[in-house]
Amino acid sequence: METRPFETKHLDKWKSNLDSCIRCGYCYEHCPVFKDTRWESDAPRAKMIMIYGLLSGKLEPSTYISDKLSSCFYCQRCVVACSSGVPLTDIITDAKRDFQGTEFETPGTTSVTNTDCALCLACVRACPHEAREFIEGKIFTDTVKCQSCGACVDICPNQAVATHLSYGTDRPSLNQEVATFLGKDNAKAIVFGCNWSYYPDLQSSVMDPTADPEYKILINMCGGRLEKPLLLEPLLQSAWGVLVACCPDGDCEHDGNVKAKTHVTALRQLLKEMDIDEDRIQLVQVAHGDKTGFQAAIDTFMETVNKLGPLNHR
Amino acid sequence: MEKIDVPRLISIVGEKNVKTDPADLYVYGSDASVHSARPWVVVRPENTEQVQAIMAFANQGKIPVVTRGGGSGMCGQTVPVKGGITLDMKRMNQILEINPSDVFCRVQPGVVDDDLNHALKPFGVFYPPTPASSRIATIGGEIGNNASGVRSVKYGATRDSVLGMKVVLPDGSLVTLGARTRVEATGYQLHKLIVGSEGTLGVVVEATLSFVPIPKFRCLGMANFDRLEDAGAAIADIMASGVVPSMLELVDSVAIKAVNKTMDLGLPEVEAVLLYEADAMVKEAVDHEINAMQEVCKKHGGKGLTSSYDAKERAKIFMGRKKLFPALSKFSDILSSTSLADDMAVPYSKMAETARTIHEIAKRNNIIMTAYGHCGSGCMHTKILMEPTRQDQWESARKAVAEIYEYVRSVKGTTSAEHGIGISKASAFKAEKSDSLDLMRNIKKAFDPNNILNPGKLMDAHDDWVTATDLRYTIA
Ligand SMILES: Cc1cc2nc3c(=O)[nH]c(=O)nc-3n(C[C@H](O)[C@H](O)[C@H](O)COP(=O)(O)OP(=O)(O)OC[C@H]3O[C@@H](n4cnc5c(N)ncnc54)[C@H](O)[C@@H]3O)c2cc1C
Ligand code: SF4
Ligand code: SF4
Ligand code: SF4
Repeated sequence: METRPFETKHLDKWKSNLDSCIRCGYCYEHCPVFKDTRWESDAPRAKMIMIYGLLSGKLEPSTYISDKLSSCFYCQRCVVACSSGVPLTDIITDAKRDFQGTEFETPGTTSVTNTDCALCLACVRACPHEAREFIEGKIFTDTVKCQSCGACVDICPNQAVATHLSYGTDRPSLNQEVATFLGKDNAKAIVFGCNWSYYPDLQSSVMDPTADPEYKILINMCGGRLEKPLLLEPLLQSAWGVLVACCPDGDCEHDGNVKAKTHVTALRQLLKEMDIDEDRIQLVQVAHGDKTGFQAAIDTFMETVNKLGPLNHR
Repeated sequence: MEKIDVPRLISIVGEKNVKTDPADLYVYGSDASVHSARPWVVVRPENTEQVQAIMAFANQGKIPVVTRGGGSGMCGQTVPVKGGITLDMKRMNQILEINPSDVFCRVQPGVVDDDLNHALKPFGVFYPPTPASSRIATIGGEIGNNASGVRSVKYGATRDSVLGMKVVLPDGSLVTLGARTRVEATGYQLHKLIVGSEGTLGVVVEATLSFVPIPKFRCLGMANFDRLEDAGAAIADIMASGVVPSMLELVDSVAIKAVNKTMDLGLPEVEAVLLYEADAMVKEAVDHEINAMQEVCKKHGGKGLTSSYDAKERAKIFMGRKKLFPALSKFSDILSSTSLADDMAVPYSKMAETARTIHEIAKRNNIIMTAYGHCGSGCMHTKILMEPTRQDQWESARKAVAEIYEYVRSVKGTTSAEHGIGISKASAFKAEKSDSLDLMRNIKKAFDPNNILNPGKLMDAHDDWVTATDLRYTIA
């Protein structure tokens, strides 16, 4: 494929914003990419530093850098947390723009479509960011427009859509985490939290691994991406309950909370029909940054679950 | 990149925990300071044995090692001026034990301050040194810098809360320092020496920390002053009167203007604002301290006195101070907020004069400087707002910084109250501690004869901070 040389055409205008980044690092504990790898190079601050390196000629463009800069879920957590008002996601988008079409372009967390694509175009319709296009019999993702929301991945009936990198937020990784946690002695519940509403402390540290906690919080990029099988899986294993946390009504950009509510309501109905207490699966809506509210919701849920006791699998 | 046996390092920590891409090295070459350099390799140990193996390897080849926590230091402490290995400690992040009956906890160095406090909360206690950067600062980094924060006026700095630690020495051997008891008089308390040593003496692999009960009542008050000198007199009076504030903060007119300009908080445009807080287990005790502080403020012409016990109200009162950082960064499109001469401490009676002097020096040198800070602990914070792409602004900054430290020494203040020395403050530190520098060099030699741990910092740093390393900015 024909490529063009890398130029910092779109990035140039951000120079003074990057100068005003005080490199405090307040953004990095919020980033799901950093939290997964725990390498500083994957944190938002590092993205800004790498872009600065490209602009100042201290770094040569590379596939490695392109990959780092294209790994962003646009959750905006860093933008909100930034102590200096740096518009990180706008800058990241311009970085992707400058890498697009060069020999270094990589998909990062953006979606790719493989050969199993049935051309049903469900994903094209589902994309909230008009990033998917049907051109000459094939589906293309515009890596600049794509915000890695995963809607296309979830909707594809053929599982033909995937992301190159998912940083632990995809279904198989979450299922794996569920299984590992439920294998522990004291494990009782799984809490699924969307990255926006999810704001527990103990973000970067861990407690004594031998002191078994009763629940595990698993981050997902959006409550709307929690499909029913994923929510049900813990109960099919040994969990006593499942709590789903998503944003308050009106807060979600892609109505993921509406979808999450529908899933949880349907699953509660299913439990009822199976003569299982429906309260074993619950939904809570937590405002962004409300640590106390989230913890209180978890505590109340754990109280209920402890009253209900283990789920007898007959 | 210099030649270094990367496969050997991989054999110690595994391939997944070693980075050598130029982009990684560039990222790990900076912190929250103005400096920039590059390590040769970044390595993430998972346990003490791995740290020991890495140190033994480095010592053998005389390879520099820079220990790094969150990388939020403001004076270039983790900027690897001599290259070498950057030891990223964030994977050693376990809270190992919380022991409420013996009032201590044991943690690995990569544990983040906020996380520790979250874990302690159910026990009704907190770990008090807490710098403003507590959401990113690691316990190892706080030990390295002897970090402190707004409540240190009452609860002390990191050194006051560290009971003991395990440290890997440059030759790879492991020593256990300090004790688990509140007091200790068993020889040199070397763990206290490690605190504030900026990663130059050993690698902390475990720390034993004390904690204190979370007070049941907390009240925050505010007073406005038309004259900076009046606020200064109030501070000195409060501290001399036997009152124990849990926080006493000064905000100057430059800071107020910045907050008003960028945040629309509508703060009164006075010369100084004082924020004072008291906390205790019984309300009467808090009332007593707050009343006493308000009386002093009134006596010195303090106006618009407000105070509240309510958490939401307190947050409102504190908003101006909290928004100070972003306000300074957003102050102007062309000016950047830099951490230079940023945390000196002076005697209480010199607080107002110091703030005034800082303003004068800034004006004379054509830069903008604000003075604010934890005046209850004698700490004055400043930020230099400048155009970082202009060479002449760096000349001005160099001059202003030198003048400020000369003044600080003249009033018997000290170079750094909390952020440490690193590279940026080395020349001021050397001037202040000139008669004990040789002693410090000998201590360093006893721990680290090959000078592999964080070389080029403190006594070993370049005398001109502007040219000591590349600056993180591009200068036209
Ligand atoms: C916005 C902002 C606000 C700040 N506010 C404050 C404040 O209020 N008070 C304050 O004191 N500081 C403050 N700081 C400075 C800094 O954040 C703190 O000093 C903090 O404790 C550094 O922690 P860190 O984990 O980032 O350490 P790093 O920057 O990674 O390291 C600091 C030093 O400790 C050494 N070190 C790290 N880990 C170890 C270890 N395991 N063993 C031995 N040495 C080690 C390093 O070599 C280095 O010399 C602030 C910084 C920023 C950016
Ligand atoms: S918007 Fe991107 S860089 Fe920022 S926190 Fe979210 S995933 Fe990380
Ligand atoms: S929070 Fe903002 S200022 Fe701080 S490092 Fe991140 S982008 Fe830079
Ligand atoms: S649906 Fe989401 S992940 Fe898929 S292409 Fe559109 S923005 Fe990207």
